[in-house]
Amino acid sequence: MFRSQHLALKYFAAAMTLFGIMIVAGLLASTNYVHDGFLLGKLDFSVTKMLHIDTMIIWLLMGFIGSVYWFVPIELEREAVGIRLAEVMFWIFCVVVAVVAAVFIFVQYGPATEMSLWFINQGRKYVEAPRWAAIGITLVVLVFIFNVVGTAIKAKRVTGIMGVLMVDLIPLFGLYLIAFPSITNMSEDQYWWWWLVHLWVEATWEILIGCIMALALMQLLGTSRRIVETWLYIEVALVLGTGILGLGHHYFWIGTPSYWLGIGGFFSALEPLPLLGMVVHAVYDAGAHRMKTTNKPAFFWVMAEAFGNFIGGGVFGFMMTLPQINLFTHGTQWTVSHGHFAFWGAYSCGVLAVIYLALQKSRAAQQLDGAAWKWSFALLNIGMLGMVGALLVSGIAQAFYERAMGGSTLQAFIEGQTNVWFVQGIVMRLVFGFVFAAGYVVLMYDLLTIGKKRTAAEGLRARAAGGPA
Amino acid sequence: MTAAQMLGTSLLLAIFVLLAGCYGVLYCLARLRASRRFGRAAATAYVLQGLCAALLAFSPLDFWWKVLLLGSFVAYLPIPPLTWRLLENLHESGEQHS
Amino acid sequence: MYAEDPAFWRAGAISSTLVMLVVLAFLTVDSIATIRPGGANVPAYTVINKEIRYEFDRESNRYRPVIGEDQPLFGRVYSAEQAEKAMRLGKLVIQSRNCMNCHTFFGNGAYYAPDLTKAWLDPAWQQMWMPMTQAATREEAIAIFLMHPEKFPTWSRQMPNLKITREEAEALVAYLKWMSAVETNGFPIHFGHIQTNQ
Repeated sequence: MFRSQHLALKYFAAAMTLFGIMIVAGLLASTNYVHDGFLLGKLDFSVTKMLHIDTMIIWLLMGFIGSVYWFVPIELEREAVGIRLAEVMFWIFCVVVAVVAAVFIFVQYGPATEMSLWFINQGRKYVEAPRWAAIGITLVVLVFIFNVVGTAIKAKRVTGIMGVLMVDLIPLFGLYLIAFPSITNMSEDQYWWWWLVHLWVEATWEILIGCIMALALMQLLGTSRRIVETWLYIEVALVLGTGILGLGHHYFWIGTPSYWLGIGGFFSALEPLPLLGMVVHAVYDAGAHRMKTTNKPAFFWVMAEAFGNFIGGGVFGFMMTLPQINLFTHGTQWTVSHGHFAFWGAYSCGVLAVIYLALQKSRAAQQLDGAAWKWSFALLNIGMLGMVGALLVSGIAQAFYERAMGGSTLQAFIEGQTNVWFVQGIVMRLVFGFVFAAGYVVLMYDLLTIGKKRTAAEGLRARAAGGPA
Repeated sequence: MTAAQMLGTSLLLAIFVLLAGCYGVLYCLARLRASRRFGRAAATAYVLQGLCAALLAFSPLDFWWKVLLLGSFVAYLPIPPLTWRLLENLHESGEQHS
Repeated sequence: MYAEDPAFWRAGAISSTLVMLVVLAFLTVDSIATIRPGGANVPAYTVINKEIRYEFDRESNRYRPVIGEDQPLFGRVYSAEQAEKAMRLGKLVIQSRNCMNCHTFFGNGAYYAPDLTKAWLDPAWQQMWMPMTQAATREEAIAIFLMHPEKFPTWSRQMPNLKITREEAEALVAYLKWMSAVETNGFPIHFGHIQTNQ
C-alpha cells in the first residue's frame, strides 16, 4: 500500500468519528423540539444544531479528501507528491476541528465585534467556523490540491477522471473564500453565501463524488475506463447544465429580482431528469453483474446512493421547488426533510461505499460480506427514511398552519409548532434518530472488524503463498 | 393559492416524479428479464404519470409551470430507453477497447 | 457513433458549464445592483426613519413592503452615517450571537424559532410585549425583550439570554426594521397585518 493510502485510512477514521459526533449533536438538537427548555442556557439548540451541521460538512469533506488520497496512487501508479506535508496537514486539520468544537461548546458566543468572528463564531450557517480556523481549512485544501496536481505532473499523465477532478478543485478552494467576509447587507450576504453553499453542495461536490464514484466503479465492478469516463462527462454536463442556474431556487425570497422565480423554478424542475438516468445506470449495473461482487457492502451502498439521490434530491426537491409552492414550504421542516434525504443519498452513501472498498484492499480480504453490514445498512436506511418521513409530516403541518393559514407571525409560528401533526412528526423523528444511531454503532463495529477474519480456504491459500494465515 | 391547494399540488408534484422513477426502474427490469409483465407495468407507471400531469393541469399553478410539467412529462419518456441503449453500446465498445 | 465517444461528451460538459457560468455572471451583475442598499429591491439604511407596512399589491398579485411617513426610531432620526453604523453593529450582533442557528432570515437559517424577515411588523410586539415590558413604543419593547428574554417568556420554548447590551439591542432593532422593508417577492405570504400607528 502507498503512504497516501495509509493517510486515506486516517481520514476515513476521522470522518467516521465526526459522523458519530454529528449523530449525537443531532439527537441533542432534536430533543429540544420534544422537550422545551432542554439544556437551555447550557447547551442551547443553536449550539447543538451548529455542531450537527458543521460536523456533517467536515466529515463528508474528510471522506472526499480521504477517497482522493486513496485513489490517486492507484490511478497514477505512483506515490502522492508531498505526502509528508499532507500527513502533517491531516493532524492540523484534526486539531483545528477539535479546537473549534471546544470553542463552540464552551465559549459559544461573544460580543458584536470582529474579534468574535475571528476567534469564536462567524454565525453564518454551514460556515460558522471562526476565521482563524477557516484559514486552517483553506491551507488543508491548498495542500490537498498541491498533492493531487503535483502527482499528476510528476506522473506526466492526466486521465480523464483526474482532469475533471483537478478542474473541480479550483471552485472547491475558490468558493470557500466566501466564508470570510461579513457583509452588512443581508440580501447581498445571502447572495454570495448561496454561491458557497449551493455551488459547493450542488455542483462542486457533485462532480467530486462523481469522480470518486467513477474511480470506485472501476475497482468495484471492473468497469472499463472508457465507460466510466464517458459517463462522468455526461454527468458533469447534466449536473452543471441544470445545477449552476438551479442556484436560482435560493434566490426566490432574499431580495433578489423576480426573474429568479422563473429561472430557479425552471432549472430545478430539470434537476430530476439526470437523476433518473443515474437510477437506470444503477439498475443496469446491478443486472449486468447479477449482483455478484466480492464487496457486497460497497455495492449496496453504491445502489443506495443512486436511489437515495433520486428520491431525496429529485422527488423531495421537486415537490417544493416551484416558487408558488416554495412560498409556503421555504424555511419549514419540509426543507429539513429534503435536506436530510438529499445529503444522505447524494454523499453519505457514496463515502461509505468507498470506505468499504478501501478496507477490502487494506485488509487484503478476498470477499467482504457478513451479517453486521446488513444490519447497519438496514438500520441506517430505515432510520433515515423514518426521519425524513416524520419531518415531512411536520413540515406539511407547519407550511399549512403557520405559513398558509397563519401568515408566519410569532402567533402563527407557535400554532404551527404546537399542532398535533407537527408534534407527532417531530417525536417520530427523534425515535427514528435513535434507530439511525443504532445503525451507526453497528456500522462502526463492522468497519472495525470486517475482512479481518479470513475464511479457512483463504488462510490455506495465504499459508501456501508464504503469508500470515 | 389556499392551504389545501398548496398541499394537494405539492403532493401531486412528488407523485409525478416518483412515478417517473417507477417507470424507469420497471423499464430496466423489463429489459433485464426480457419480461412482458414488467414492460406493461412500466407503461402503466408512465400512463399514471400522465394522469398526474393531467390533474396538475387543474391545479392553481401558473400557466407556464403547467407547460413545463407537460414538457418534462414528455422528456421522461425517452430517458430510460436512451440511457439503456447508450449503456449497452458503451459496454460493447468498451469491451472491444479494453 | 458519436454518443459513445468520450470526447463528444467532454465537449458537451465544457460548453454547457461555460454557457451557464456566463449567464450566471450577467445575472449576478444585475442582481447585485438591485440588492445594494438604495437599489430597486433593498431600501437605503435610512429607511429606519420611516414607517414601514406590508400590504397586498393587486398589480403584482403579492404582498409588498410600503414605505410611509416619517417615524423616528428610539425617538431620534438617524443620519445616513449613523444608520450605516447601526446596521454594521446589528449585523455583527446577528453573527456573533449565532441567531441564524435558531431563527431564519429571508427563510434561511434554522427552524427552531420564528422567521425574522418581517419580525418588525409582528403584531405580537404591540399585543404582548408592550404591555409585558411596560414599554411605550414597539422598539423599546423589542430592545427590552432582547436584553432579558428569560424575563418575558412567550411560551414553553424560550430564547436564551445572550448578554446583548443596550447599544447592541438598539442596533439589532434598527436592523430588523430595515430588513422588513426589503422587497422579498411576497415572502412571507400575508404576514400578520398591522397598520403601524403607534
